[in-house]
Amino acid sequence: MQYLSENHQSTDREKIFILLLLVFLVVGLFALPYFADMAFINAMVLVCIAALYAMGYNLLWGQAGLISFGHATYFAFGASCTIMMMAGIEGGSSFPTPFLPLVGGAASFLIGIVAGWFATIRTGVYFAMITVAITELARAIVQRWDTVFGGEAGITSIRTAWGPFGFQKLIDVYYFTLVWTIICIILLWFLQKSPVGMVIRGIREQEERVRFLGYDAHALKTLVFAISAGVSGMAGGLLAFTNESTNVTLYEGAYSTTVLINTVIGGAGVFLGPVVGATLTTLFGYYIANLTFHWLLYMGLLFIVIVVCAPRGITGLGVDAVMHIRSGARLPWRLICKQILGWLLLSIGSVMIIEMVGAVLQPSYGALARSSGVAWPPVNVFGINWSPSSPLTLSGIALIFVVALVLLRDTASSAHRNVLKLAGAIVQKPEAGS
Amino acid sequence: MDQFLIALLNGLVYGLLVFMVSAGLTLVFGMMGVLNFAHASFYMLGAYAAFFSGRYVGFWGGLVVATVTVGLFGLFSERLLMRKVRSFGHTQELLLTYGLFFMLEEVVKLLFGPTPVAYNVPDELRFTVFMIGNSQFPFFRLLMGITALVMFFGTYAALRFTRIGLIVRAAVERPQMVSALGHNVSLVFSGLFTVGSALAGLAGAVAGMYYPTSPAMAQELGSIVFVVVVIGGLGSLNGALAASLLIGVMTSFAVGVDSTFGDLLRALGLDVFALPGFEAVQFSAIAGVLPYALMLFVLLWLPAGFAGNRA
Repeated sequence: MQYLSENHQSTDREKIFILLLLVFLVVGLFALPYFADMAFINAMVLVCIAALYAMGYNLLWGQAGLISFGHATYFAFGASCTIMMMAGIEGGSSFPTPFLPLVGGAASFLIGIVAGWFATIRTGVYFAMITVAITELARAIVQRWDTVFGGEAGITSIRTAWGPFGFQKLIDVYYFTLVWTIICIILLWFLQKSPVGMVIRGIREQEERVRFLGYDAHALKTLVFAISAGVSGMAGGLLAFTNESTNVTLYEGAYSTTVLINTVIGGAGVFLGPVVGATLTTLFGYYIANLTFHWLLYMGLLFIVIVVCAPRGITGLGVDAVMHIRSGARLPWRLICKQILGWLLLSIGSVMIIEMVGAVLQPSYGALARSSGVAWPPVNVFGINWSPSSPLTLSGIALIFVVALVLLRDTASSAHRNVLKLAGAIVQKPEAGS
Repeated sequence: MDQFLIALLNGLVYGLLVFMVSAGLTLVFGMMGVLNFAHASFYMLGAYAAFFSGRYVGFWGGLVVATVTVGLFGLFSERLLMRKVRSFGHTQELLLTYGLFFMLEEVVKLLFGPTPVAYNVPDELRFTVFMIGNSQFPFFRLLMGITALVMFFGTYAALRFTRIGLIVRAAVERPQMVSALGHNVSLVFSGLFTVGSALAGLAGAVAGMYYPTSPAMAQELGSIVFVVVVIGGLGSLNGALAASLLIGVMTSFAVGVDSTFGDLLRALGLDVFALPGFEAVQFSAIAGVLPYALMLFVLLWLPAGFAGNRA
């Protein structure tokens, strides 16, 4: 699939605007500890790690057009190797602490060469299935090999001071992850702009033609797979550095899924799209996961909505808007407002249903009903106590859904037409069965 | 010898179960190029549907309800969701089924809790069919095997000897050509998708009573099913059967082996390569690794799988 953002050349004004925005953002990130509280800094450390992981992941997808469904292995292996090196430093090794993430990156790069060589024998859905199987293979081995990977209990170590750097305070860790993340993202940008990046995109579009030009497509795909694994491993190394511990749960499917979801939500076709997605889901997860048991369900729903309604992610919508403005047309504000309102109502309704169903099905709810003598004790959603059986609550939820669907129904057909028109501009090629 | 027979039978039953789930997946892929990540979730849904409805309609009723419900669920997800994104290409469709896979696990956690539910073999089916030496072979294992066999021969006969089967087989090979001949490939595809989902649901309903019925069962089986499909060759029913049985028997035998990696290396005179801790790992402990290792070997020597013809 070809992405619009690569097709359209930014005008000079847009370039300056984007550059200023990025500089502003980076300065803001560096100044953050002066006005944000500790909880937010802690969240931002996780954002940096998730962003770097997603950027490494999207090197494979956005550039080579290969979607991995099992990247957790490389992330986790980077973390494991970094923690082992940390333990080594603790035990007297002279490896400089600031370069610890490179250990994770190098380790994952090496296993990425092997895994990538196998996985890129095939493309398309075969590739997807092989990545799943390789991750399961790695997980099965790691879970049994307790003496090296520490099993469920995991490995713990500490951050050893190096030269002027103490690495003991949260702020130190924040700057450490931030600097490494920014360095890696800049390097990834230059890789994308380099001739190698160009050939890799060529393989994505027309592999045969690139082979005719004399390039070894399999070797190049293995290379890009290994680099992607390496960057993911660096992100894993940063996580190990932050937590001062790792365990084998990092190898589980959840870490492969999160990075995929982040990339889809942010948009794989725009360079910094995965960063946007990682930031959104990590921050939401950090603050909302404490409020609900069903955070992952919401994430799954959001993922499906994005895939069906905004196939190129949030940044894809932004690119559409820019293209729209540049073509001289006014943005359809009424339609946009209706859409936003409709989706807002739809999410409120869904959250209410899910939270109520979830609360009612808890074993503790039955106990509460017996002890209080009420058949349907009230459930607290959005800070209000709702009675799950009262007609008022049920009709209220029904009303929310009806209004939402009416709002979206008005706009859905025209929005769908627009999307189809854009999709028509995207060159499609059969990816399966290859 | 008795141990050998028991291991062989257990392996065959497990292999047939894996085949029940992979059959639908491989046919659907062959026809529309859609890899349905949620296919193993349908297997999980089948187990839960049978568990839930079994309380009201009994065990056998539960099997029917599970098959029908999951079939309908498959039909709806194909018609209402996957069709919507088909115009955006296979990637979006793949992502959508992955989203379904992820979401269904969470929905099941929401409704039934994150821990396994007590979906057990009903008492009237807890009896021994025959003895092998001193070991009993329980009836429900036989039931699992028979269900899968009936399903295999049913599917095979339907594909081989009916007119619809002919169209389906043709559409798996050359969908556009079949469409050009005036057949409604899209309708055939919906039907195939429904039947494939229903079979996965039935497999879940039968297997769920023996293996733990938990939200994780989709992921556990899902990756094995992918391995089967890669090894067997996408779109090939025979290849899927061979790969399923091979993996089932292999895993079953590995579980019975008592040696460690250290033993193997010593036997080969290679114990200098023994990695710390790894030599003490028993073969039985990593029986789960074997299917994936097999897949890597098959990829090396037969990139298109046992019966695949599209390299």
